Amino acid sequence: MRPMATAEDLSALVSKLGLDKQNKATLGRLIAHGNLGYAEEGADGRMHAQIRIPPDELVWDPAILVLPHGGDLDLEIFNDDQNTHCALFPSNGDSQFIWLPIHSRGTAALNLGGPGYYWYSSPIGNDEGRGLIGAIVVLGDVPQQARLDRPDQPRP
Amino acid sequence: MTEYVDAGRAVGQASLSGLAGIAPPVVQDVTYERILQARSEPQNWLTYYGTYDGQRYSPLDQINTENVKRLAPAWVFQSGSAGLHAGPSTYSFEAAPIVVDGIMFVSGWDGFVWAIDGRTGQELWRYKHAIPYDTSLCCGNVNRGVAVAKGKVFVVTLNAHVIALDATNGELVWDVTYGDVRAGESATVAPLVVKDMVVVGSSGGEFGVRGHLDAFELDTGRHVWRCYTVPKPGERGSETWPDGPAWTRGGGNCWVTGTFDPELNLMYWGTGNPAPDFDGGIREGDNLYTDSVIAVDPDNGEIRWHYQYNPHDLWDYDSTMEHILFELDGRKLLAHFDKNGYFFVLDRTNGELVRVSPFVDRITWGEIDPNGKVTPKIYPEKEGEEVHFWPGPAGGKEWTHAAYSPRTQLCYVPVQDVGASVTRRRREFKESIPYWGASVTVDSDDMAGSVSAFDPSNGNEVWRWRNDVPMCGSVLATGGDLVFAGEPTGEFNAFDARTGELLWQFQTGCGHHSSPTTYSIDGRQYLAVPLGWGAWVEGFLPGMLGAPHGDALFAFALPQE
Ligand SMILES: [Cu+2]
Repeated sequence: MRPMATAEDLSALVSKLGLDKQNKATLGRLIAHGNLGYAEEGADGRMHAQIRIPPDELVWDPAILVLPHGGDLDLEIFNDDQNTHCALFPSNGDSQFIWLPIHSRGTAALNLGGPGYYWYSSPIGNDEGRGLIGAIVVLGDVPQQARLDRPDQPRP
Repeated sequence: MTEYVDAGRAVGQASLSGLAGIAPPVVQDVTYERILQARSEPQNWLTYYGTYDGQRYSPLDQINTENVKRLAPAWVFQSGSAGLHAGPSTYSFEAAPIVVDGIMFVSGWDGFVWAIDGRTGQELWRYKHAIPYDTSLCCGNVNRGVAVAKGKVFVVTLNAHVIALDATNGELVWDVTYGDVRAGESATVAPLVVKDMVVVGSSGGEFGVRGHLDAFELDTGRHVWRCYTVPKPGERGSETWPDGPAWTRGGGNCWVTGTFDPELNLMYWGTGNPAPDFDGGIREGDNLYTDSVIAVDPDNGEIRWHYQYNPHDLWDYDSTMEHILFELDGRKLLAHFDKNGYFFVLDRTNGELVRVSPFVDRITWGEIDPNGKVTPKIYPEKEGEEVHFWPGPAGGKEWTHAAYSPRTQLCYVPVQDVGASVTRRRREFKESIPYWGASVTVDSDDMAGSVSAFDPSNGNEVWRWRNDVPMCGSVLATGGDLVFAGEPTGEFNAFDARTGELLWQFQTGCGHHSSPTTYSIDGRQYLAVPLGWGAWVEGFLPGMLGAPHGDALFAFALPQE
């Protein structure tokens, strides 16, 4: 019997097996298996971040984008790949769509309302199945006035 | 280094759809006064149940027992969605469509709200709230509908915001967070507009939260009051909870819309089960105000009286479901079909029990005598020991609604006759983790269902249309002496309101778990029914967990010559 991977060595094992590359162990890469990056907060309270699609990898880089809290995010998107892709991002009001020609740069303004994580992807061809799917993680708590009137409770 | 091609700026996904982008300003003139008189404009469906009394009755009578056999689809609205969303395996289309002067407003799963042309089905505008994929959802990715008033459309989101949209274009006017997703709170209720406020309840009892109702100003979203359904130590009702932290996790959420009597100035909201659902050992006592109807003063959120249907609930018998307001011999009453299988009639001025009788055949959990005395018989008492009881946790009737016709003076109820096996499994409480206190397996065979007609003057069943699976969609009664109800297997049915005879049926291709409404435009009557089978199927009909989800809204009408 093979040993199970722990969370710590999962990345290494996935990489060794070729599950994080195009057309190695699998046809594409495992969902959301890529880098992690942070959004930065400007003086005006808006957050900003860059994400890219590197050549021949079919992955968002970072695939996991971490926001310190909910609010407005200005995103700069680069398609460094030699194929056309697009992006569909979650945002309050309406999901935001952008077409990304080969070697292009675009922007998106997103508003996300609170803690949790949200998916984004490139919904053309089977970009999503091959790896172009990512998560935006919003840290923090809901506003104080929305919390329950009770003593602090144990968390997992 | 070469310059990048300019890809421009991301655009709203709706702009890549065929929608019009704008709706006529029909909601501008929807005032509290108009909602009070909603029955006098039967061409519209202005509030969740159609009217404040919760009867789900429309006087429209163009479609009647004679001509209903000619009813045919007028149009179909299809949504679908791109990309992943929360609760992908449990989403369901559960809303009651609102219609104002020919324009329909309806909400879907995952933060969708649409304005639709009620005559053609054309999408006019769309709003999409961004919902975290990891929101705690005990019972599926669902929303039960919107409220409208003063130019705005009000809706709650799964991550417990209440928002107001401009009814002409779907743009956000205000957005207020009223629940804590980290505590396992969420929201699915259709808001209720009362006076200058919009009133909403919370969800999350299955995660050990503390249930509440909240009121917000229509114009600004300013928070007016909060009413907790579980009292804290020292408050009235706190003596029904043990010493210790049980009250802090008590549940009792109001996740189904209340009704309202403007003369008595009282709202009637049902409250959900106590938490943990099945392990009563750690919450000895009656556990007020869970599993109750609370009569709430809309001006300040105070509870004027309550009636508890299931003291110290051990079966997950939420009592959140509708309270139908009606008059009998000059007496102001309310009717309620509880998950525990009993049909209650109360005096709505003071909460006094008028009568109680069973409305489902198999009731083994316990017994309620004519005086309302509750005697539990079978419940998960010993750790690790399995018990089986009817009705199961989905109840003799789930959240979907009964109707009352003032013409026949009968109540029409969708009945679920399905049991479950439950084994107590005590667990430690942790915020945001499901807090049931049991392992539950709902029967997937030996079940039945019906649409049944009950006479609230004596509690007797008048007729019954039997089905071999539970009925899981709301009932609608009309002035054409028709009763409409959808089946889990996709049929949309019309019954004779006086005899229960099945007069018309249409296979919609997907199970019904929503609330049909009716309206008319230029004298043509339509029936609107959202289709989407999902949510907590494992709780009410696991035998149909493999059925398609669906995401269409059908409108039916008589053919035009
Ligand atoms: Cu429950």
